[in-house]
Amino acid sequence: MFWWGRAEAAGNEVLGRHLSAECTACHQLSGKSVTGIPPIVGWPEDQFTAVLASYGRKERGGQVMQAIAAKLSHGDMTALAAYFGALSPKP
Amino acid sequence: MTQTRRHLVAGSGAILAAASLCMPAVLGQAKARVVVVGGGPGGATAAKYIARDGGGAIAVTLVEENETYQSCFHSNLYVGGFKSYEQLLHRYDALTATYGITLARQRAVRIDRDTKAVLLADGTRLPYDRLVLSPGIDLKYDSVPGWSQDAEEAMPHGWKPGRQTQLIRQKLEAVPDGGTIVMIAPPNPYRCPPGPYERASMFAHVLRTTGRTKARVVILDPKDSFSKQGVFMPDWEKRYGSMIEWLAPRVHDGIKSVDPAKGTVVTGFETYENCAFVNVIPAQMAGAIAREAGLAPAGGYCAIDPATMKSTADPAVFVLGDACIAGDMPKSAFSANNQAKVAAMVVCSELAGGPAFPTRYFNTCWSLVAPDDAIKVGGRYEPRDGRIAATETFISQPGESDEVRRQTQAENMAWYDAISADIFT
Ligand SMILES: Cc1cc2nc3c(=O)[nH]c(=O)nc-3n(C[C@H](O)[C@H](O)[C@H](O)COP(=O)(O)OP(=O)(O)OC[C@H]3O[C@@H](n4cnc5c(N)ncnc54)[C@H](O)[C@@H]3O)c2cc1C
Repeated sequence: MFWWGRAEAAGNEVLGRHLSAECTACHQLSGKSVTGIPPIVGWPEDQFTAVLASYGRKERGGQVMQAIAAKLSHGDMTALAAYFGALSPKP
Repeated sequence: MTQTRRHLVAGSGAILAAASLCMPAVLGQAKARVVVVGGGPGGATAAKYIARDGGGAIAVTLVEENETYQSCFHSNLYVGGFKSYEQLLHRYDALTATYGITLARQRAVRIDRDTKAVLLADGTRLPYDRLVLSPGIDLKYDSVPGWSQDAEEAMPHGWKPGRQTQLIRQKLEAVPDGGTIVMIAPPNPYRCPPGPYERASMFAHVLRTTGRTKARVVILDPKDSFSKQGVFMPDWEKRYGSMIEWLAPRVHDGIKSVDPAKGTVVTGFETYENCAFVNVIPAQMAGAIAREAGLAPAGGYCAIDPATMKSTADPAVFVLGDACIAGDMPKSAFSANNQAKVAAMVVCSELAGGPAFPTRYFNTCWSLVAPDDAIKVGGRYEPRDGRIAATETFISQPGESDEVRRQTQAENMAWYDAISADIFT
């Protein structure tokens, strides 16, 4: 059980890292704050997942993010939340 | 509960892959060699991600002839006075320092696909296990009658960076009030589909804000329609009145010839004499190094496998960005950067046992129409029926509020900074 938990976490990290490449075309990995596109590093994971999910349901407005989130599974979203959540902003 | 269990199962493939991420394909073997030709959004991104994700098992050499990359993306903002030229410049120091990429500051002159090697101008021979090509475009200098490479000073294209981009701005500055700018737009497929129309917007903006309100911009198009036309045209009218005139082939009846010495443009319907400035954007094709390697038909672009970005002619070679045929994806910096990440994943999977995930693509192209007024078009894409096909698209709407347009321009500016960081740092 313990092994599975660790292995899953490793798999999740690989998935999050892979998916993050789509985000970094617009969101800076440094978490640098700029007007126009919000920084996404260092967020609480549940908040990150909730925001992505609301784009996915097209509740939250924004053409680009709606189109991105539409294709992300719940597992994808939590993997991204963990990946970006573990980074800290370098202002 | 079901969710967690399914996730666990779905994740298990990635777990196994993760365990082998840092192992070379054969232990003890020398590093696998990847050569990347072209340090633009396609090539520099591919070099970075392969070096970063190769787990130390891959030696990456980036071949780029210029010391500094000058971006065509946002060069229209330079023309419009929204950016300095220096803001379009990027260096490769961070890529070499951070990821251990070897930079070969040379022109690649030939690819020997039989022996898998790239030959550089100084005679160096770089053997490769995988080759990534992202050389951008070459111009078809014979595609507009009367125009040629010798005429590119008198009638600049500004579709390759450097002096050409700066000439566009200089010629714009010299246009007298009442003068006519003629832009000859390119036929499909070409680099940056909305680019000519964003540039025409910048011409009108500069003319208007410098009091040259009687000058006009005539776009002679070989196409019947253009990217974001339904948003650009009402916006032009709103922002610039009748200053920008767009003429389809059925209206101008074809571009018959240009005379660079006299500044004349002859169409089937009309002759434009003493033009203040003629901007000829010719037809385009894949960069020479890719064409000469036999990866594209004469005068064309390189066919790729949509799942991997590999050339359909050679499974050891990837072709990215403007040089490839990417189906529904436009030729943009965004697309090139995005395609590079797919290629990097495939390379790391094949050479370093990295994980393979389903291939998908994304693109957005922003265009500035007037200060604080930008529009966008974009979509999500997937491999389907042998090509990259759009699965969901979005586009700005005519008549959106000023606030939406202001926000779209803020996105555009932030995107440039983020993608530059993603490519070059
Ligand atoms: C006016 C204009 C506006 C644009 N605006 C946007 C925009 O807003 N958004 C957007 O996403 N895109 C925009 N684009 C498009 C964007 O610039 C291109 O799609 C993008 O640069 C393509 O990247 P690439 O890697 O394929 O090629 P390039 O960027 O052309 O890079 C190719 C590199 O390869 C090098 N090279 C080529 N051959 C060799 C060789 N044999 N040896 C060594 N080095 C070689 C070149 O020096 C160059 O550095 C615009 C283009 C123009 C012209």
